[in-house]
Amino acid sequence: MGDLGEESQFVVDEVSAIIKQAIEDAIGGNAYQQSKVNQWTSTVVVSCLTALTKLEKSFKYIVTCTIMQKNGAGLHTSSSCYWDNATDGSCTVRWENKTMYCIVSVFGLAI
Amino acid sequence: MNTGTDEDPLPDVSKFEENQEEESVSFQIRPCLANKFKCEKVKEVIREVLNEKLKGKTYDVAAAGQWSEEIAVMIKDRVKELNYTRYKLMVQVVLGEQRGAGVVTATRCLWDADSDSYSSEIFTNDTIFCMAVVYGVFFY
Repeated sequence: MGDLGEESQFVVDEVSAIIKQAIEDAIGGNAYQQSKVNQWTSTVVVSCLTALTKLEKSFKYIVTCTIMQKNGAGLHTSSSCYWDNATDGSCTVRWENKTMYCIVSVFGLAI
Repeated sequence: MNTGTDEDPLPDVSKFEENQEEESVSFQIRPCLANKFKCEKVKEVIREVLNEKLKGKTYDVAAAGQWSEEIAVMIKDRVKELNYTRYKLMVQVVLGEQRGAGVVTATRCLWDADSDSYSSEIFTNDTIFCMAVVYGVFFY
């Protein structure tokens, strides 16, 4: 546990780049379509998780993706965690286009 | 320099005991049934908190952000009271206005399915929808 090198730490910038890439790949410029949303959310979480495992760090990961149609309604998300601040971390990315919001959160827990 | 020796023995002993305790648990790699994260119990806790905080309320932009934060902290504290020792907890709350907009959430985890688990619950009334998820991850 004493070793806090790059390998055993959750690097937020790295993860946030992965998330943005995953969202762009899955949704890009598409407009909100009810029939597609299920597929998009699962594509986003799967590609995030795949990219995260490729970092080959000893972490457990939790990825969530929420997509909401834009029609003027408000949306808030919060999280609260009980963990080891030194090793564990989280990263949330908010992305939007004209028709929807997409919020992805990743939690990384050192093993 | 032996000036401190007369007062020091006590803290030394406690440190030693702490270390020993740590070592004896560090070999446990699975939670025992009593300490296992129980989805149903956690779900009840979430439901309680959501009802307590949101029942009878109407959506209010100014307050909603704070509500969601309060809910997240409250759920975390209540789940901590269930005494799942050696579990790390993550609580995520999504609170939004009910206006007919579509919302879809997906989640996927890379973890140890034997010991780690999650529980979720959704609350809705005429103007608010709120989803809360609690993840419990065992640390070895």
